[in-house]
Amino acid sequence: MIDKLAFLFVEGIKNFTRNKLANFICIITILINFTILGAFFVFGYNTENVVNFFRSKYTFEVFLSSDTSLDQAVSLKNEFLDDSLISSVDLIGKEESAKIFYDEFGEDIIQILGYNPLPVSLKVNLYDKGFDSEQVNVLIKKYESNSLVDEIVYQGNYVDSIESRINVFIFIFLILVLLLIFISIQIIGNTTSLSMSNRRDFIEILRYNGASNLFIKTPFIIEAFLQSLVGSLLAFLLVKYGFVIINSYLGINIKIDDYLWAWMIVLSLIVSSYASSKSMKRILL
Amino acid sequence: MIDFKDITYNYSPQSGVYNIDLKIKKDEFCFLVGPTGSGKTTLLKMLYFDLFPHKGKVEILKYSSSNIKKSSIHKVRKKVGVVFQDYKLLKQRTVYENIALPLHINGVGRRKIKQLVNEALDLTELSHYSKKFPNELSGGEQQRVCIARAIVKNPDVILADEPTGNLDPTTGHRILKILEQINKEGTCVVMATHNYKLISDKAYRVIELNEGRVVSG
Repeated sequence: MIDKLAFLFVEGIKNFTRNKLANFICIITILINFTILGAFFVFGYNTENVVNFFRSKYTFEVFLSSDTSLDQAVSLKNEFLDDSLISSVDLIGKEESAKIFYDEFGEDIIQILGYNPLPVSLKVNLYDKGFDSEQVNVLIKKYESNSLVDEIVYQGNYVDSIESRINVFIFIFLILVLLLIFISIQIIGNTTSLSMSNRRDFIEILRYNGASNLFIKTPFIIEAFLQSLVGSLLAFLLVKYGFVIINSYLGINIKIDDYLWAWMIVLSLIVSSYASSKSMKRILL
Repeated sequence: MIDFKDITYNYSPQSGVYNIDLKIKKDEFCFLVGPTGSGKTTLLKMLYFDLFPHKGKVEILKYSSSNIKKSSIHKVRKKVGVVFQDYKLLKQRTVYENIALPLHINGVGRRKIKQLVNEALDLTELSHYSKKFPNELSGGEQQRVCIARAIVKNPDVILADEPTGNLDPTTGHRILKILEQINKEGTCVVMATHNYKLISDKAYRVIELNEGRVVSG
């Protein structure tokens, strides 16, 4: 059995080295496709980080009515802090609001109006773990009816909008991934068909000498595996060092999944075994 | 061992084999003779299930054309050695590698392969050619490689389709001698030929075909 496997493995290697041009084209195609795929994976991986960043910033601002005293504001702050959804509350006094106004609009509102019309406000920060926007909306509705509250501005709506765009991006990403996988299947399948057609005589002789379909297929599967392994490994190196260069050139920090190499190689092997088996099935009917 | 039961195979309305009933025993050496197009190759192809009869059935060893699955055909071929007129050798492999091929297919170990291939090389007087490639050999030598490849797996039946067709008379006699030797060791040999002169002095069974029908035998 071991001798038989060794023979088939050597045959696979021989196929790989003999069919140079077709294998080269196939490897280049896998390299291109899997480089794009790998780049998508990296973007996907980093998109998750962006979402997490926004989620950590989930807040809503509570503007209190102008006649609210500081004690009433502190009391309301404590009330908020008792809620399990809320991680912290920042009290923003009238002076601090004026400063924020100045920072944002470049105008001193006290100088313009002669008094400070800005209300005291509370910046309520929510826990990002186990976040549920429905619960937040219920919470906001509850406090909107409070007599001290003038207005509640919920930042989560913007985050929802960003998230919905990210979902569109993920959808497009998945379509492109499937498209690239489909192209890879076609090209690996065609290379296997070409390889088998070139060795039609060899296959015929094997058959007349009692070879089973599995025996005939194995060297071609090994050949397709080698194409995928070389192509995806090169693609991984290109993606990894490509992003290292981009990071250092642009001064950003795009992270690469530690297991990206494994994902790319395993995916390429699955694609190649499926593609080669499919095309062989067609030929070895 | 081999049983053709009322088999018919049509290539076209005017060509094929028709209503053939034949039995060939174990250990038998028999010739299938007849002019080109008489159906010799068709009968042989049915024996290694390259063709299936349109009517009737062929039985060889314990396998029957009527119920054999495609996935089981290789099991028959492991027990049947085929010698082709056009040799069907792998041009990029040495004589040794060509002869060893059926043994690799059968999962024989490397040491045993070496021993069996050397025995086959001795029997076919090819020991000095083991490292040569087929295109470095004459037609007769290539045919002997083909025979060596057929016998190396110790088959129950050897089917030889015009093995002397491309060879001069002396080489043809040499090939026939090798096949006789194999038969003496207990292997059934069925040889198709249109060379009546080659077999005229042989006392083996001769099955004569003409226009797809058995004329005698």
